[in-house]
Amino acid sequence: MSARGIAVTGTIAGLYAVLTYALGAVAYLPQQIRFAEALAVLPYLTPLAIPGLTLGTFLANLNSPLGWVDWVFGTLATLIAAFLTRYAPHRLLAPLPPVVVNAIVVGYYLAILLDLPFAVTAGQVFLGQMVACYLLGYPLLTFLTNRPWLIRRLRGQT
Amino acid sequence: MLRDITIGQYLARDTAVHRLDPRTKIMSTMLFMLLLFLVRQLAGYVFLGVFTAAIVVLAGIPPRMLLRSIRSLAFILALTFLLQLFMTRGEPLFRLGPLVATREGLNMGTFMICRLTLLVVMTSLLTLTTSPIALTDGLEHLLRPFRRLGVPAHELAMMMTIALRFIPTLLEEADKIMKAQMARGADFRSGNLLRRARSLIPLLVPLFVSAFRRADELALAMEARCYRGGEGRTRMKQLAFAARDGIALTTVAVMFLGVLFLRGRP
Repeated sequence: MSARGIAVTGTIAGLYAVLTYALGAVAYLPQQIRFAEALAVLPYLTPLAIPGLTLGTFLANLNSPLGWVDWVFGTLATLIAAFLTRYAPHRLLAPLPPVVVNAIVVGYYLAILLDLPFAVTAGQVFLGQMVACYLLGYPLLTFLTNRPWLIRRLRGQT
Repeated sequence: MLRDITIGQYLARDTAVHRLDPRTKIMSTMLFMLLLFLVRQLAGYVFLGVFTAAIVVLAGIPPRMLLRSIRSLAFILALTFLLQLFMTRGEPLFRLGPLVATREGLNMGTFMICRLTLLVVMTSLLTLTTSPIALTDGLEHLLRPFRRLGVPAHELAMMMTIALRFIPTLLEEADKIMKAQMARGADFRSGNLLRRARSLIPLLVPLFVSAFRRADELALAMEARCYRGGEGRTRMKQLAFAARDGIALTTVAVMFLGVLFLRGRP
């Protein structure tokens, strides 16, 4: 990967972690909303966001009280969602994978860890992700689509 | 306000635990987490608890720092305990209206609390005693064997270092933008969820644009210095296993085997 690609990927990761810290004191539990997930729409515009978001989730989850489980599976969920978003057939569908994948994966391990019904944990994650990805992420995507110079930078081009 | 947040909550000290190789700490916490899910007897949790407490003392971590991370989970802990207590079927202990608490429920609830608390404490111990840079370095080394499978270990570590470097800068920037927008009448703290989500757009967009301006400058600087990946890179700090790493890993491995052995017994 080029130096430019590495710099952009690192920045996306940093931005994700910062938004997690800045916008939610406890964004790790199902009741909370992780507004940083708004960035999960980025893979639709640039492949660099796939590793970027994955690393960002890992860094953000480093402070999660659930530890290893969150580091491994939370990060994995983001990776899968990012891949799916990359190949979303339409802009309106770009924020959908992070909503669905996280609801299933995060909902599943929260249900096991906390021994709560899957429907409860998955539902909470789903709602939180809907707000972050559609109410905040989609406007971001619209904003970026109208600014080709910013998209070029996101793709690591000059 | 935002600048007080630290990632990984590293607490710089000079203790045996801090001096352990990051790879040792990553691997042994991983094993320990597995252990937590394998233990079936209360005695096992007591033992793991004593072991954890010993490490806390050894690492010179003030217990109130750990209590803080447990407190953030207090609600979940209480909810889990109550659900277990009343939802598990078995020998009745006492009644609370229509709810029946059972002996089995009490046992399960206590197990869940022990498991989650130890999970939280161990994770915090890792991040409290290992700086994010050391953690990154350790991960890069641990990922090296996977390079053959196409995992770009060096690139990943480099991206992580860049991200870590940008976190304080971007937090400061976020703080500034928030204040600037508040001066223009933005309201980030009130209203229902939908309104609050919407109010974040004027923060997100400028932060985004400024972050990528910085990325551009960084890329230019890297290119100007002929960055060409991990090829032929030398390091100031070399990771090396010492005797204490051997001791730590053996201890955890023995504990692991012990638990596996005891699990087969009633």
